[in-house]
Parts: sequence; structure tokens; C-alpha cells
Amino acid sequence: MGLPKLAITPAKPDKLRALGVIALNGMFDEMDALGVLRYAIEEVLPGDIAIVSSFGADSAVLLHLVSQVDRALPVYFLETGKHFAETLAYVETLRQRFGLTRVTALHPDPADVARFDPDGQLWERDPDSCCHIRKTEPLEPVTAQFGGWVTGRKRYQTAERGVLPHFELTSDDRIKINPLAYFSDSDVNAYKAQHGLPEHPLYDKGYKSIGCAPCTSVVAAGEDPRAGRWRGFNKKECGIHFDFNGAIAKPMIGQKNLWKDGAFTADPFRAWAETDSPETARYAHVPVDVFLRNRVAFLSNPHPIGLHVSPADQVEQVEADLLRFASIAIAFPAFTDGRGYSTARLLSERFGYTGEIRAVGDVLADQVPLMRRCGITAFVVTHEPTRRALESGQLATVNLFYQPVGTTEVPVGTRPFLRRAQ
Amino acid sequence: MDILTGNELLSGATVYLDTEGRWVEDLQAARIFLPEEAEARDAAIAATKKTGRILSLEVEAVKLVDRVVVPLRIRERIRAAGPTAPAFERQHLDEDSHVSI
Amino acid sequence: MYRYDEFDAAFVRERTAQFSDQVRRRISGELSEDQFRPLRLMNGLYLQLHAYMLRVAVPYGTLSSRQMRMLAHLARTYDRGYGHFTTRQNIQYNWPKLRDIPSILADLASVEMHAIQTSGNCIRNVTTDQFAGAAADEIIDPRPVGEILRQWSSLHPEFTFLPRKFKIALTGSPNDRAAIKFHDIGLMAALNGAGEIGWSVYVGGGLGRTPMIGKLINAYVPHEHLLSYLESIMRVYNRYGRRDNKYKARIKILVHEEGLETIKAQVEEEFAQVRGGRLTLPQEELDRIGAYFAPPPFKSLPVAAIDIAREKILDAAYGSWLENNLHPHRVPGYVSVTISLKPIGAAPGDATDAQMEAVADLAERYSFDELRVSHEQNLVLPHVLVSDLPAVYVALVEAGLAEGNAGLISDMIACPGLDYCALANARSIPIAQEISRRFAAPERQKEIGALKIKISGCINACGHHHVGHIGILGVEKKGTELYQITVGGDGTEAAAIGKILGPGFEAEAVPAAIERLVEAYIARRQTPDEPFISAYRRLGDAPFKEALYGTA
Repeated sequence: MGLPKLAITPAKPDKLRALGVIALNGMFDEMDALGVLRYAIEEVLPGDIAIVSSFGADSAVLLHLVSQVDRALPVYFLETGKHFAETLAYVETLRQRFGLTRVTALHPDPADVARFDPDGQLWERDPDSCCHIRKTEPLEPVTAQFGGWVTGRKRYQTAERGVLPHFELTSDDRIKINPLAYFSDSDVNAYKAQHGLPEHPLYDKGYKSIGCAPCTSVVAAGEDPRAGRWRGFNKKECGIHFDFNGAIAKPMIGQKNLWKDGAFTADPFRAWAETDSPETARYAHVPVDVFLRNRVAFLSNPHPIGLHVSPADQVEQVEADLLRFASIAIAFPAFTDGRGYSTARLLSERFGYTGEIRAVGDVLADQVPLMRRCGITAFVVTHEPTRRALESGQLATVNLFYQPVGTTEVPVGTRPFLRRAQ
Repeated sequence: MDILTGNELLSGATVYLDTEGRWVEDLQAARIFLPEEAEARDAAIAATKKTGRILSLEVEAVKLVDRVVVPLRIRERIRAAGPTAPAFERQHLDEDSHVSI
Repeated sequence: MYRYDEFDAAFVRERTAQFSDQVRRRISGELSEDQFRPLRLMNGLYLQLHAYMLRVAVPYGTLSSRQMRMLAHLARTYDRGYGHFTTRQNIQYNWPKLRDIPSILADLASVEMHAIQTSGNCIRNVTTDQFAGAAADEIIDPRPVGEILRQWSSLHPEFTFLPRKFKIALTGSPNDRAAIKFHDIGLMAALNGAGEIGWSVYVGGGLGRTPMIGKLINAYVPHEHLLSYLESIMRVYNRYGRRDNKYKARIKILVHEEGLETIKAQVEEEFAQVRGGRLTLPQEELDRIGAYFAPPPFKSLPVAAIDIAREKILDAAYGSWLENNLHPHRVPGYVSVTISLKPIGAAPGDATDAQMEAVADLAERYSFDELRVSHEQNLVLPHVLVSDLPAVYVALVEAGLAEGNAGLISDMIACPGLDYCALANARSIPIAQEISRRFAAPERQKEIGALKIKISGCINACGHHHVGHIGILGVEKKGTELYQITVGGDGTEAAAIGKILGPGFEAEAVPAAIERLVEAYIARRQTPDEPFISAYRRLGDAPFKEALYGTA
């Protein structure tokens, strides 16, 4: 390990427990990032809180906020060894500008690097593992020292973060504080402008979300700012954001059955199990009836969860809670059962759900285009010919539509049925 | 006693499993499975399914009338004879639609 | 007539290419039959008793000469020189080979036709009045809306895996010739208080195992909201229709079990959400599609009277044809001509390639290039000048299509039955042929008058037996074909489901049983003009039951 293991300090979440996550999250105006931060640093966890900063494109805002509350707050920077030179320069710029006194770089264990990434190409072969040795492992001994952490995560950044609150309780009873949870891209830009914050040198070159050099690419105008991260991989989070105990961030293994964004990827989600608990479950697709029976517990569960919709389920019943789900799995127990098509349209068109909607079950290649039109964005596929068809992009399909269906099928022409070519 | 019948994939023609394991047009050539030959019959069904070339595979009960195979069901008699009205000859197999197990 | 634009043409071309690829994958073994079956069904390809059967859609029953010639070409090239027109205004080919299907579909596409959604649990070909756009009694030509429904329902991504098949029929006339109350959704042109034309919507009608008369779910839906309203019904059905039992999966069972009011409330709730949305159909769009169906350049003529009595004396067969096979046209000097596909002793609905060519020639020459297929398995020349009737008749005689029996006892509906159909339990066509021969004499048919006999070879009721004035249902009992006879059915606006009066008859006994029913009617009718169905309604079962089974 990069740092000697220190004795584990017990977290101090008493105050948070006393308040309860829900109550805490209701205390602040959505945009009151400074209020959230001040309360966390001064009231909830005085002396027991730190921040990990990527010193990326958006980091200036959070660090500026921190500097207004406590310039001596420990700031950790994951020096993965894969950063852009511009990023390293930017660390210096911000440290000096904000007068931060405790910026510490965390390096990966050279032994780990030598063993797992001798050629420096691990990022390409297995980005999850690369993040693991360069971020999760170096951070682990440090996380143990603090009862709370400040993050710069924002709801808008990825669909999985759509339900992000100001305060979260991690599975090992630590607190994560997300002062910018409700900030949009334009809020961030407005803040930067208002306070004259220096930009990351790469920002103007089209990098909107900046991580390690190999895994960061330019995003196009209108694209999700984080689309440039791990482009081509079905990877949205580096692992350290998932949780602090490192469990989730371990490299995923097994067959990649989830077809999403044009590739088969490892599925972070799994099916709900009898033994799962509504309070602590994470990355599981919760059946609608289980969710409804334990609604309060699920809503206060800080982890990403998904929803599993069976053909007979009425999604209307969970309409108010849809933002809670990072993924919705629609079951197709038989390819002849078309109820899921209506479910998908209701979710995406009527209820405006923008997260991942996946089809699971008996999915034939010839149905994929119809499912896509109804708003399904991901497919769990085991059928080998269907897998081949998806991978080769050779879905025999009709690309002309007579009906306006889905949120993206912008009607063309003036015809009553608004037909359209894809 | 039973025979095995189905329709061939390419032509759709009615065919019967004969004693050589070939699927042929002639009902009179059909292999007759006695009740005690259920195992052989099921093996033939399994082997046929494996070919993927015979559709609507069915076990049909038949009787022998003067050594002529006669299906018990009218449906099967019409399948064997072709439509009665308007009367047409049955569909024939194509060159490349001969299936064997 | 509607003409494909580039979009429609490209759509059908892509669909044909898609299915060609699926056929290729099936032949190569990449697709199993279980995987291929739903795909081929969605493209109209069945496997029947003796061979594949391809069902080609004739949207709302309208054809041009060019299209009819292509149907003849397909019969000649890929089949055995004939085709079978069905009760759903489609045509079926009984002997195509799997490998030829892509070529057949490509040929069809070249004349703006296809076989899309003629099977499968999706929205099927939309059917309508065979006299649409011509009938004197219609308040609106239903075909523009029919075309819009065709487009809206074609490969609808949400409604391609419904609990069961779904049939929509519409009529622009208050005299329902499209049996709309026996469809999953039936639309009848209606006026609102302001005198504007819209649609009365009936839901949950159907025949089959559990015949039901459609129930009025909305008395007036304006054009502009029609698609939204239909999509609301479809969504309620897709979500809540039974999927546990295929015999209870049609919408009629949902409506029956849940009650009309419940379904209506669900549909209204859904409608409230989608009303005024993207499916709104502005009048100018309806007008634009309507322009395709603009009346042909009719001549301005005085009302032309036809002296049928005189013609009968000169030529009895021609006289009968004039008497029975003409339908009043909305334009003076014109009539619609029914071309009977029920020559005495023939298979109802069958036409040879030569007959199809002959009919195409007639349409081109005498009916502004237009043809119709009726759900009663006949063809129609919709716009014929009265002065052209002799020439049309002569040509029909030559083609063997001049039977003057439209609407009479020998103008029967019959499904293909056990001679062809994999679902049938008994034969239909031979029964129809025997009855036809028994009542062959034109005088006898005239004496009997309007009488609809409808024959199905199984409970699925493709031959509409439930709504025959006399219905015949073939069943199998102990290895023999047995025929149940029902009386009193009516597929029109005066919808009624026929009643079974007693045990079934063996095939040989059916014609005589029909004769006894006919005799009972003739003996008891008030005047020679009182039709069979009216007499039955007045008299009740008793005399007909006695005619069939004698006194107890």
C-alpha cells in the first residue's frame, strides 16, 4: 500500500444518526452548497472530515467553497500517475489561489503497479482494475481516518446519480457530503464566472470532465459532460464514488451480458435476493411489490438501487419515486408478452424517466429495434445469435416509422401519424 | 399403432418418416411404430427435431386395412390425399428438401 | 386510391428485406422454427395442412387493376393458378414455397402491396364496406381513415405483441356491410350535435369460440382524436388483456369480464393523457389523404332506370344478375357491380389467375381502374356506368364470373376448412358446394330471396357462421365431421348471434336440413318480400327447430 495502514478510527456518525439522513437532507435549500458544507464541517463532523479532489474541470467550485469554510480542511489528490500535465499544474494553481494548507497527493503502491500494470495499459484492458489500484487502494487507508467526506458529485452528471442527496450514509457508517448535488452545468459555470475562478487548462479544449489522461476524451457540444470519461466503456464512476469500503470498486468479473451504449459490459446490477435488506441493498433491481412494501426504507437507503418491473406491474404506483432508481429493468418472461412495451413508453414518455431502462428476459434480435423505440436503452442478452447480431450491428430492421413513439422520435413532416426515418 | 408425420421446411410438403429414417411423401412407406416401440419412436422424434427441417411434427394413430395404412383422423386422411375441394395434388418435395435422420 | 409515396415504398421495401433476411436465417438454421414462427406469421406466412399459405393484405378491400394483375401473376408464377379471397378482404395463396416468399413479397411491393400483419398478435388488416366511396347511403368515405389506420398500425412498436390478434373494421354508412360490431374495434361514421362527422366506437365484438356483439364505448370521437382514442384502447388492452389463456385473450373477454364501464373508465383515463398529443389528426391531413380517394371524374348523367323485368324476358340470367348484383351508387347513372365468386358448385372466394386478369381488365375499362374485395368473398367494380352493364356482363360470362346470385342463398361465405386449414375440424367447401348445387336454379333462389348462409370449419369462425342467417359450424365427433346449424345470426347494424337449435348433422344430411329450414320460412312468411331473417325474428325458434328435428 502507498501509505502505512493506520489504526482505524471509528466513524462518528452519532449526530447524523440523531438527525436522520432524511431530516438532514431536508434542512438545506437545494442550491445552498455553502450552508451544507459549513454545517457538515462545523456541526456534524468537526475535525473528522476531508475531501478528495480530482482537480478536474469542476473542482475549482468545491475547493473555493471549502476555502471559505476551512482552508485547513484535508484535501487529498489521487496522483494516479496517469494525469495530464495540465492537471498537475492546476493542482498548484488552485492550492495557491485558495490558500489551501493541507493538500496531499496519494500515490498508487508501486508494487501493485508493477504487478498489475507493468506496461501501463491496464486502463485499456480493464479500466475497473486500473481505477482500483490507482484510486481505491491508495484511498482506502485514508478513508478509514475520517468519519465524513466531501464530494463534488452532481445529480445531472450521470443517470446513476439522478437521486443524489446532500447527505448520504455509506455502508460502513461514514457520511458523504455532496454540497453540489443540485448544481447543473450552468450553475457551475455561473459560479465560476461570478467568482472569477481559474479554469482547468484543458477545459477550453473541449474536456468537460477530466480524469486520468488515457480515459478522458473530448465531449461534443450537447453531449453529457461526463460522456468523455471512459468513452467506449460502460463505465460511469471510477469506483471511489460508489462507496468507501472498496467492495463495489473491485474489478467486475463474469460474462458481460449487459448491452448498453453500443457494447457488452459488465453489469453493476444484480437481481433482488430474498436476503437483501431495503435499508442497505445496493445495485439490485428491487421488485415493485418489495419496493412498495418497504418504500420508506428504500427511500432512506443512500445507495443506488434499481427497479424490477414484471409484466403485470403497474408502474403508475411508483411514479413519484422513479428518481430514486438508477436503473429500471423491464421483464420479458416470454417474447410474446408485450406488456413491457407499454411499461417502457409510460416510463420514458409519460413519467419522464431518463435513467437506464433495460429489457431482461426473452429478448430476440428482431425485437430490439421495437424495444428501443419504446424507450428501452439497455438489454440483458444471453441468446447467442442475438448477441452476435447486436455486436455486429446487423439487426434486420425497418428504419422507417409510421408512428411517433418514444421521446427521441421527433416527428417529421406534417402527416397525422408523423412518420419518420431513423 | 402410430406413424410420424410433419411438413418439410422448404416446400411445406406433408412427409412421413419411413423405415430407413428418411422423410418421404408416401404414407404407405411410413414406418409403423407399435405400442411397445415407444422408445424408438421418441428417439426418432428427437433426431428429427435436431434436423430443424421438419415442422408440425406429430404422432398419428393409424390402422391397417388390407395392408394399407389408414390414419384414424379425417384430418390425416386429407393430409395424405390432398384437398378434396377444390381437389389438388399434394405439394411435392423439392430436389434439396429431402431430410433424413 | 392511395398511392405510396417514397416513404411508404421504402418502408415496405425495408420490411421485405428484413423478412428476406429472416427467411435466409431460417433456411441456414440460424433461426429455429420457434423463433421464426412469430416472424413469419407477422409477415402473413402460415403453415397449413399441405403447404405454406401466404396471406396478402388488401387494405380496406381496395385494389387497382395493376394490383389485381400482380395477384394473378403471383397465382400463376408461385402458386397453382388461383387464389382465395377471404372474409377479411385479403387474398390467400395455398401453395407457395418458403424460398419464393421473398420474391413474392418483392413483387407485391412493386405494386404497393404487402403481407404485413396479416397474422400474429398485432393489429390486422383494416377492413371496411366494399362499396366505400361509391354507395348511395354512405355519409363519409371510410377509406381515408382506413389508410391512416393502416399506417398508424403498421409495425407499431408498442402493439406488436398483444395478448391476441386485433381486428378493426369501419363503415361510413349506417347500413353496416363490414360487420363492425363483430370486430375488436368497430367504427361507424356518426354525426355530433353540430352535424360534424366523426366516429362511434364499438369495442369487444368478435366471433370465434365466444361470440360477442361489440359494445358502444364512445358515441362520438371526432377525426382529430381518433388515433389518440384508439391508442388508448390498445394500451388498456395490451396491459390488461388476459394472457394466461389464449382462448380468453381477445379484448371481447376483457370487456366482458371487467365490464364496459370499467374498461371505458380506463380508456378515458388514458385518453385524457394522450388527447391532443402527437397523434392528433388535423383536418388538413385528413383532407390530404382524402385527396387520394377523391371521386373519379364521373360523368354528369340523369338517373338511369334499368328495366329488369324486360331484361329478364330477353335473357333470364342477365336479368337475375341485374336484379341481384347491382348496388345503388351515389352518382346518378352509375352502379356498383358485385362480381360473384360463388358460381354454382365452386369454392367460395376462389379466383383463377385468368379470372383475376379478366376482372382487372374490366376495372380498367369500366370502373376507373378500381376494384374492391368484399368480406363476403366477392369482388366489386365500384363505379360502372349503367350503359356499360351489358358489356361488363358479357365479359364476366366469358370469365365464368357472371353468376347473378349476390345476396342469395348460393352466395355463401365459407372458410377453407379442413381441406386446407391446419386449425379446422371439418370441411367447409364441400358443404358449400353441395348447398350451392341443391339451390342452383335461379327461380328457386329468387323465391327464397335474401338469405345469408355462412360456414366455418371450426370454432374460430373465419366463415362467420355466428352471423349467418343460417350458420353452419363443422366439428369433429368420433372421427367424423358433424355440422351444427344455427339460425338468426346477423352481421349488420342489427347485429345478432345465431342460435343452435339442436344436435349436429352429418355432412350428407346438411343440404336437406337447409332445405327444410327454407321450406319452413317460405311456408310462414307474411309476404314474398319478408326476408328470412325478419321472418325468424317474428316467428322465433319453434318452427325452425321443428323443421330441423321434427316435433318432439
